[in-house]
Order: sequence, then structure tokens, then C-alpha cells
Amino acid sequence: MSTRKMFALFKRELKDIFRDKKTLIMMIVVPLLLYPLLIIGMTLILNAVNASRMDATYKVAFVGVEEETAAALEAIADDKTRIDYVIERTDADDPGQALKDEEIHAYVTVEQADGQDRYEVHYLSAWDDSVTAADVMMDVLYNYREDVRKERAEQYQLNEKEILYPVTYELADASSAEESVGNYLGMFIPFLVITSICLGAIYPAIDVTAGERERGTLETLLTLPVTNFEMIMSKFLAVSIIASISAVLNICSLGGAFIFMFSFIGGTAAGGMKLEIATFIPAILFMLLVVIFFALFVTAVSMCTCIFAKSFKEANNYVTPVLLLFMFGGYSAMLPDLELTNVTAAIPIINMTMMMKGLFNFEYNYALFGIVLLSNVVYSVLTIMILARLYNSESILFAEGFTNIRIFTKRSEMKKGALAGIGDVVLLLCLVLLVLFYIGSFAAVKWGIYGVMVQQLLILLLPLAYAWYIKSDMKRMFSLRMPKPSAVISAVFLFAGAFLCNLILAGVISVFFRESAQNVEETFAGLFDAPFAVILLITAFLPAVGEELLFRGFTFTAIRQKCRPLTTILLVSALFGLYHMSIVRFVTTAFLGVFLALLVEKSGSIFPGMLFHFLINAAADIISVYEEPMAKYFPILTKESLSIIEVAGILVVGAVCICIGWFFL
Amino acid sequence: MIEAKNIQKMFTRNVLAEGKKKSSKKSVKEEFYALDGISLQAKAGEIVGILGPNGAGKTTLLRILGMLMQPTAGEVLIRSKEGEYETDPVKVKQNIGYLSGNTKLYHRLSTREMLRMLGEVYGIEKQQCEERIGHIFDVLDMEQFGDNRIEKLSTGQTQRANIARCLIHDPDLYIFDEPTLGLDILSADAIVNFMKGQKELGKTVLYSTHYLEEAQFLCDKIYMIYQGKIVREGSPSDIMQETKTGNLRDAFHVVMDQVKGGDAQ
Repeated sequence: MSTRKMFALFKRELKDIFRDKKTLIMMIVVPLLLYPLLIIGMTLILNAVNASRMDATYKVAFVGVEEETAAALEAIADDKTRIDYVIERTDADDPGQALKDEEIHAYVTVEQADGQDRYEVHYLSAWDDSVTAADVMMDVLYNYREDVRKERAEQYQLNEKEILYPVTYELADASSAEESVGNYLGMFIPFLVITSICLGAIYPAIDVTAGERERGTLETLLTLPVTNFEMIMSKFLAVSIIASISAVLNICSLGGAFIFMFSFIGGTAAGGMKLEIATFIPAILFMLLVVIFFALFVTAVSMCTCIFAKSFKEANNYVTPVLLLFMFGGYSAMLPDLELTNVTAAIPIINMTMMMKGLFNFEYNYALFGIVLLSNVVYSVLTIMILARLYNSESILFAEGFTNIRIFTKRSEMKKGALAGIGDVVLLLCLVLLVLFYIGSFAAVKWGIYGVMVQQLLILLLPLAYAWYIKSDMKRMFSLRMPKPSAVISAVFLFAGAFLCNLILAGVISVFFRESAQNVEETFAGLFDAPFAVILLITAFLPAVGEELLFRGFTFTAIRQKCRPLTTILLVSALFGLYHMSIVRFVTTAFLGVFLALLVEKSGSIFPGMLFHFLINAAADIISVYEEPMAKYFPILTKESLSIIEVAGILVVGAVCICIGWFFL
Repeated sequence: MIEAKNIQKMFTRNVLAEGKKKSSKKSVKEEFYALDGISLQAKAGEIVGILGPNGAGKTTLLRILGMLMQPTAGEVLIRSKEGEYETDPVKVKQNIGYLSGNTKLYHRLSTREMLRMLGEVYGIEKQQCEERIGHIFDVLDMEQFGDNRIEKLSTGQTQRANIARCLIHDPDLYIFDEPTLGLDILSADAIVNFMKGQKELGKTVLYSTHYLEEAQFLCDKIYMIYQGKIVREGSPSDIMQETKTGNLRDAFHVVMDQVKGGDAQ
């Protein structure tokens, strides 16, 4: 590698980025102006509002309050050493109506019971001024009570403290002011820092990859006597530097704005908390280190993502999920139990978040910090190596770009009969999860078992709608072919074999995850009160059709275009397992998924798989609904623990069934 | 100076086809040869023209000769300044000036800044680089706009800046892909004259074009390619004689008709 060449390219990249107005605005103007303006503006507005509250006069009526007491209350309200606000005593004939008409801000009533004077402050919680007036009046009444107590104590010649306050208590914070502020900062600083690094990195990352391709200078670059690695490194270094600068600027600007805010409202809010800023200096210095190391990682990841895009717009689409992922990692600092450990120190994004959190909590575990920084270097290097390989690939350098996600093209421009790409699969699965999460869970809560039906129908409709929208060939996309009779026979035998083996598999897993296995059972508990036919429709038939269309139809065909049969079967099965969103069910569903994928690959038709899927679900339903007769006739199914011989027997029968099924396939 | 032996370039595209059993689907990587066994030679002091219809493989061929792409099979031999055959792409590129419609320039730099950057990449000493820039600005008449940002230049000015890019390291081999495409007569003539001048300096120029009149009087040798294969080669006058035509345009038509006729049979 020639450092001289790389440095020349690096200088050019920097010059190019700095001459781009958009980058400059994102990098310098936004952080330097936006945060201070936002925070200072907010502070000023809040103060102005508070000031106007103090200046305003609040009209309060006293109803049924003796004149002497009313005068005492008024005196307290007027006493500037005790009450800051201006209360004006008014009379109202119908105070309730007057309050409703907003002619007065509040009124006070009193009644006597058990030797007590019970005061009530009536106000409108929907009217801000009335709320303020009520608060002030509560203060006035508190003061009044204190006065009365003192008076009484004197009257009966009692020791006021001894009688009225025999017990006192207060919180004594053993952490120093710095520690408590540090803990607070540690919660949200990681998020802000990560976001600002990302915002600083992403724009130039797009510019040097997709931007370069869009402007057509990539081929020019390739004519130069430099290696791909020198090219990548020059870009990588330039973007990392911009990202670091941007992050540091962001932190400074944010810090400045906060200091301004604290000093502005310091007297009241901070409660005379004195901070020794010097305590934070090591943390801040470490932060700079973190920022630089993390900027390397973010830059490498975002460049890797953008390299597939042929235009700025496309790159933006690709990089947004990455940004969200990083921001999500930043949020993890707010999780109370998550800390820097040997494990979290190696998880990208989380480790940086945890390290920053640790720094502000003054927990300097240098060994763990070392792991964090080192693992970030390792991840960055790995990503750069991938990047260099990608940049070596002619299909990336010279191709028009990837059009894996067909839905992003205009519908009128879509070719009829085209099949969905892998990008479409990712998008569709995300859509399904989103729909299940929002609409599905809402429906299930609202309509019970029929809500579950709505869920299943949605899973069924989404892939169909997607495939229709991208004008794909439905028959091919979903493998809608009449199966051969042998494939149907095979499905039945495979079901029997897979069911038996799965029984053992589930048993083995429940040993490891006892608690979560019980949870799974509880989830379905409420479902089995409906008529059996309905249960069968909703938990067996609809999922069999919908999930098969989604996984063995849409997903399988799309992945199969790019991958070999075995890879496709494993990939689709893993996705199917993940889709069930539980570790316990992952293994069993992925296991069954292998058979389902095998069926569609071998038979070319989706229907044997649907049959298999239906039978599996139906069998589970029968066991749950007819628990007693099943336990009577097939005790082996519900037995708590099986002997080795029983296990071996089940496995042998299962294996034989699978072999017969395989023979027919 | 440059010699290509039996160059093949294969691209793949994914096509979904029916498998052996009618019911199974198969993703088939369809292979097709953009270049299928091309051999050519260009000596020092020669201008060699590559002619052919769109999609014949001209750009792919020039990219491979310029070491921007790797051939699937075959080899490219380029003599270095020291007269030895060099295979390291980085060192080969040091001696090539490559220009195509796709080699755009960095808009946010001025021509002078770009040339200085290139000088550093090519390893030219600062002093020498400044002299060279002065010389190039003189020759291409760029003094007036050399310090403007490239985004502000006209099409003709940009093309001259692009030529300047190929000149800065004083290469022995120029590879130009349709250098006069879309230019006005003055700018196009400037480029044609530039190529003639380089030829007189003993440099090699390899270029593709659709302007057959230009190629007829400029080229010492012509390769006509069609569907990745060389279908005719020789000097313009030889080709015209063989096809019994009066100009290269007619000769081109005759050759293409022959090839397509052969395809049909």
C-alpha cells in the first residue's frame, strides 16, 4: 500500500466533502445552531411564561369562610416572603358558575367536622391559570395551618417541635452531586452521541459511494494507478474524520446549550448543586476516544450499505434502517439492568453505549474498555475488508446497481410476470411483523379468537397483495401447481414422522427452557373454549394456508432464484423459526420448516406443504382439546417423562415414516 | 506497445428456467460472452480504431485493455516505459491515459486542483507537476478556465479538462472510448488534432468511435467487432479494397451485412 497515493486521494475526498454545501450544513450549521437555538429558545420561552404567571392576578372567592380567617389567608397571600403570586379576593354569588364561566380562577369552601376545619379548593384542571391559582391556594392553606398550629401550641403552652413534629425524616443522598448528574448524563448522552456520529457519517458515506457512482467519477478513479484498498481506505478515512468532527461539534454544542440552560435556571432547579466539572474530565477524554473508534465502525457499516445503491436516493433508503438500528442501540443505555460485561463488551453498538454509560457513572473498568475498543477495531477492519472485496467486484463497480426491491419501482414500469427479489422478501417479512404487531395484537385483544382469525387472514393476504402489486406471476411465485398424488402421500408420511420426532425434540428443549415452554402453553390457553371446528379453522387451516404462501411460496421462490436448494431450504426454515419469535419454538418450527421447504422444492407445488402444515397444527389442537381421551389412548403423547426405550421407539417409528415419505417424494 | 491475446469476457445473468422435471424451478446462471476471443495489437506511433455497432463489446474491450476490468480468459500485454512487459495493473495504469464517456470529473474541484491531485497519485514531483500543468494549459488553451470549478465549465471545456487528466502523467498509451461523441466541430477537431500530435510523438492511441469518416483518415489500423468477435481487421485502405468500396462507411455496411448474413445461415 502506498501511503502517498492514499493521502493524495484522501485529501481530495476531504476537499470534495468540505465543498459540498449540504454536508457542511448537516455537519456544522445544524449542530452549532439548532441545539442552542432549540434549548435556549425553550428555556427563554419557559421563563417568559413563568414570569407572566407570576405577574398575573388570580381571582379567588372564599365561600362560607369566616371573615377573620379570610383576612388571615389574604394576609398570607399578600406576604411576599411566603407567596410569590398575586391573589385577589373576590366575591361571587354563584362561585360554581363563576368558575365554569372562567370569571374567577378558584374558590375555597370550608366545613367543620370532628373539630376540624376542612377546606376545599375548587378549580378547573383543564384551565392552566386555574391550576396555578389552586396550587397557590394550597400553599396559602398550608401556611395557614402552620400558623394555626403554632398559635395553638403557644395557647396550650406545648413544645411545638415535640408535639407537632415528633418525627422528622429526609433523604440523604450518599452519591456526590457529580455522581448523580453523571448517572443522569449516562442515560441519554450515548443516544445523542451515537445519533450525531451517524448523522455526521451517513451523508458523506453516501457521497463517496453512491454519490461517486451517480456523478460518474468512479470509472475515472479506476483509471488511476491505485489499488482498491488504497481507494477504500482514503474514502473510509475521510468519512471517519468528518463523522468524528461532526460528533465532537455536536457534543460541544449540546454541552454548551445544557450549561447555558443549567446556569439560567440553576438557582432554582439545580437546588444549589455545585458541580466540580473537573471530575468529568477523564470521562470526557475517554469519550473522545470512544467517538473516534465508534465513528470508524459507523463509517464502515454505512459505506458497506451505501455501496449497493446506484443513486443518492436509493442509498438513503438503504441506510435509514441502519440509522434506526444504531439509534436503537443508543436507547439501550436507558435499560436499567444492562451493564458492561464480558459479553456486552463484544456486542457492537451496545458495547459503545454501555462504555459511555459506564464512563459517566465513574466505573472505569479498563479491561472491559479495552475489549470494547478492540472489538470495535476488529469489527471495523472486518467491515472494511468486506468493503474492499465489494469494491473489487466488477458487478458492483460497473453494474447499474441492484434492483432487488421491486416495489420501489413505479408500478407502470414493472414487468409483468417478474418474480420478487430477496429485498422484497425482507420488506414483506418486516411488513408482516409490523401488521401482526399493531393490527394483529389489537384484533386479538379486542375480538379474542376471531381476532386471531383476522391475524391469520392478514398473513394470508399480505404476500398475495404484494405479489399482485409487483405484477409477479402468481402461479410461479406461490408454486400453485396441482401436486402429484405421490407428493400428497409423501406429505402424510412426512407429517407422521416429523410429528413424532418433533415430540422428542420439544421434550428435549423443554428441559433446557422449562419456564418459557410453560409460557407457550399459556398463550394458547384461552383459545380452546370455542367449538372445535372453529379452532381447527383458525389455528390449523388458516395458518397452514397463510404461512405456506408467505414462507414456502413467496419467500422460498424469491430466495431460490439466488441460492442453491439446500441453502434456500435452510434459510427459509430459519426465517420460519425466527418468525415464531421465541427461542423455544425456534428449534421445533425450524425443524418442521425443513420438511415443508423440502416438500415444495421436490414437488414444485405448495399444496402438499399446506396439507403437512394443517396436519401438524390439527394434531396439536386435538391433543390440547381432547386432552383426557388422548391421554387414555395415547399415553405416550402426554407423559411427563419418557424412558429411553420409549424415546428410541418413537424416533425409530418417526424415522421409518420419514423414509417412506421421502421415498414417495 | 500493447498486445491482447484471445481475450474473453463472460458476464452472467440470472434467468429462471424450467428444470429437468417439469415441476421444478431452477435458477440458471446464463452465461454470455461480451468478448469472445479478441486478439489485437497496437504499436508505438499508431492510431488504432475500434469500430462496431452498439453492444458489440467495444467499451468492455477498452475497459479490459485499460485494466479497469479483468478478462475471463486471455491476457493483455503492455510494455512499460522501460520496455518490459508489465502485468501489475497498478504499474500498467501508470502508463495509460484512459478516457471514456463514463470518466466524469470531480465537479467540486478546479482543473488545476484536479491535476495537482493526480500528479501526487502518479508520483510526479511538485515542481515538475506545476511545469506540466502549465504546459498542458498552454497546449489545450485552458489558461482562462483552469481555475474555475469543473461544474461551471461547458461541455467542450470539460472534455478538454478530461484530456488534460489523461496527459498529466505523460503516458505512452492512450485509450479513448468515443472521445468526440457529442462535441461540436471545434472541440472534436481539437481532440482529433491532439491524437495526431501524440502519434507523431511516438505514442500509441487506441480508440473507439462511431464517426467513420474520422476513423478513415485518422487510423493506421482498424478492428471491426461484432458480438464480441473481431470480424475484420486491417488498415482503412485495405478494408476498403477488400470490400470494394470507396469509403469506410460503405465498407462497414458491407462487413456488417456479411456477418449478419452469416448469422442468419
